[in-house]
Amino acid sequence: MSIDEFSAYGYFFLTLLLVVGLYAYIYHLYKKKKDATGVDYENYSNMALNDDIGDTPVKPVSDEKKK
Amino acid sequence: MFHWLEKHPFFFAVGVFVVIAFAGLIEIVPNFAQASRPVIGTKPYTTLELAGRQVYIKNSCNACHSQLIRPFKAETDRYGHYSLSGEYAYDRPFLWGSKRTGPDLHRVGNYRTTEWHENHMMDPAAIVQGSIMPAYPWMFTNKADIDTAFAEQLTDQQFFGVPYNKPVPMKDGTTQTVKLAKSVAEAHADALAEAKEVASKMKNQDVKDAVARGEIPEIVALIAYLNSLK
Amino acid sequence: MENRPLEYDYTVAKMFMVTTIVLGIVGMSIGVFIAFELAFPGLNTIFGQGIAEYTNFSRLRPLHTDAVAFGFTLSGIFATWYYVGQRVLKVSMAESKFLMLIGKLHFWLYVLGVAAAVVTLFMGYSTSKEYAEFEWPIDIAIVVVWVLWGVSIFGLIGIRREKSLYISVWYYIATFLGVAMLYLFNNMEVPTMLATSAAGETGIGSWLHSVSMYAGTNDALVQWWYGHNAVAFVFTVPIVAMIYYFLPKESGQAIYSYKLSLLSFWGLMFVYLWAGGHHLLYSTVPDWMQTMGSIFSVVLILPSWGSAINMLLTMKGEWQQVAASPLIKFMVLGSTFYMFSTLEGPIQAIKSVNAIAHFTDWIVGHVHDGTLGWVGFMIIAALYHMAPRVFKRELYSKSLMAAQFWIQTLGIVLYFTSMWIAGITQGMMWRAHDEFGNLAYSFMDTVDVLHPYYALRGTGGLLYLIGFFMFAYNIYKTMSARPVEESELQNASPMGA
Repeated sequence: MSIDEFSAYGYFFLTLLLVVGLYAYIYHLYKKKKDATGVDYENYSNMALNDDIGDTPVKPVSDEKKK
Repeated sequence: MFHWLEKHPFFFAVGVFVVIAFAGLIEIVPNFAQASRPVIGTKPYTTLELAGRQVYIKNSCNACHSQLIRPFKAETDRYGHYSLSGEYAYDRPFLWGSKRTGPDLHRVGNYRTTEWHENHMMDPAAIVQGSIMPAYPWMFTNKADIDTAFAEQLTDQQFFGVPYNKPVPMKDGTTQTVKLAKSVAEAHADALAEAKEVASKMKNQDVKDAVARGEIPEIVALIAYLNSLK
Repeated sequence: MENRPLEYDYTVAKMFMVTTIVLGIVGMSIGVFIAFELAFPGLNTIFGQGIAEYTNFSRLRPLHTDAVAFGFTLSGIFATWYYVGQRVLKVSMAESKFLMLIGKLHFWLYVLGVAAAVVTLFMGYSTSKEYAEFEWPIDIAIVVVWVLWGVSIFGLIGIRREKSLYISVWYYIATFLGVAMLYLFNNMEVPTMLATSAAGETGIGSWLHSVSMYAGTNDALVQWWYGHNAVAFVFTVPIVAMIYYFLPKESGQAIYSYKLSLLSFWGLMFVYLWAGGHHLLYSTVPDWMQTMGSIFSVVLILPSWGSAINMLLTMKGEWQQVAASPLIKFMVLGSTFYMFSTLEGPIQAIKSVNAIAHFTDWIVGHVHDGTLGWVGFMIIAALYHMAPRVFKRELYSKSLMAAQFWIQTLGIVLYFTSMWIAGITQGMMWRAHDEFGNLAYSFMDTVDVLHPYYALRGTGGLLYLIGFFMFAYNIYKTMSARPVEESELQNASPMGA
């Protein structure tokens, strides 16, 4: 396989992969909210709005450690 | 997967890197083998020309002058044949520029003379009415750095295989050999011989005297370089 | 040890705020000066024939671009990182002596690097590659500075309290990675002192000098892959990081659609890198790369506008805030200019448009409506937002800020309109033929015609610079303004009359 072919295939498949990835990502963003365990991504905005050191984190690191 | 990525900064960073590195990998790397073959008639720079090229860079000539003739009638009428990839094979760095505050210089050696450059560099507005180019009188007194130009030639030969001391094919079927000196002293002597030829066509007495003394003012090197652009 | 409540520690942020302002003044002053040199060439020797070598256009032009890109903008990026990073990760620099040390080291090495860069560029040591003019020892210093910043980013992330990373942090991480990759590959060079002559001599000539690893067309390709994406990762990505934090915070409004911000992020990351080829249209790089550069430049509108529209929509229903607060005006106009220049860029990347626009002042105009309108305004707004919080004082003067806003806006408008006209005029004149098929204008004709536009451009730049001095003064006076309580600092920044 010549280097041109390699680059053409690489281009095609990686682009395909990224397009599929991006759509999967959109799907994921919207689906997550409906799950029982789900995250509403819009809550993440609060990371900027409530950012005093005493404010409760949106999702504290310490939660994970307790489990 | 996505959610997991967002919470694991290291893998997130890897993901971002893959996405941004992708274009470079596909676009740039494969082209490398092809673009650097010289076209026939392109030869490596001599020590003096290279010293002139360094003067060109030192004074950011490339900030205002391009060295890239695009394939349009208006450009080939004005500057000559459009540029070919192989003509740049020995250009490290490339000097295409990104702005034409002044005209393109890729083939300036075809239509400007040593004498024209001499007068123009001393006072551009006196030669070209209304020119906004600054004057460069200090180039007539500053000395060109032949040592560094020689070191650059050596680097070109040793690290990048530039064909010094080897016959290079010319357009008329003959070959020419660009000499690479064996020592700093020899490089100086060669550059001086070339400089004398340039200076013989110049009017400025200080420059002539300097060359006669064995010194090479920046202007001589620069003109040698500009004359080599064809 | 006394039991004080934990606070964010802005020591390093403050240090970088100082360099942002100082280097902003330096870079922009040089910019205004060289703009007038083009309009009035006599200025090249105004400081005397003796030092004209160092004050003429050629020596100062790289200093201008590097001082605003790597001085003003990078400092702004670092200053906001050391502020925003702590806050959205909810962790204080004071909690880690190590990170504090790294932060300070990062700052001082950066200052040292800037000083070395200024001196060498003045002396004429340059690799000639745009935005990468520094010779190899400075490149190495820059890499060290960059690694220190990386340690600081990932160190702070390592001890965070907030599990998920806020979108701004994503953009800062991308800035770090992107610039690291681009800078390393573009600056691959061999110092000439490594070469040996046949007579065995080594270390010949200047030890600072180096030769690019790439030749000709390849060098151009790498340079513009770098040049274009340095714009992406210095002038776009980190500035988006800033607006995603500072606009919601200052206005008290949640981001209109957080999901859209995430999508735009990945879109931008993927598309931006492809677009570099548009700097090389009609050059000697392969055609398919040129076409690719064109197409991706147009596609790039989508993720860019995704972010910009998201920001404007964040202000939905809150437009009275834009009217009331000059600080929010800066950010809203900033994102408007972002939309404007990300539309203009793709237009210029269309091959037939590029045939006229390339090599002209239109490109210069395009760069400046992005940098003055978007980058400059956003960094100014960020520093205005940070000042009351790091100094615990109200902003010195609201009316001064409002005046600055209008003066600078006028400056930008003068700048880009004059460069638009200048660029298109010159581009058209270059290609004009008379009825016999000869070129209609000499090159000099096309320079003469630009004089009024160059003068106008200089004036626009001067207005922007005046506004920047007002900004510096306002921040300076803020340090001794009325102290404020923590409760006043929730959202809208407190401002004196």
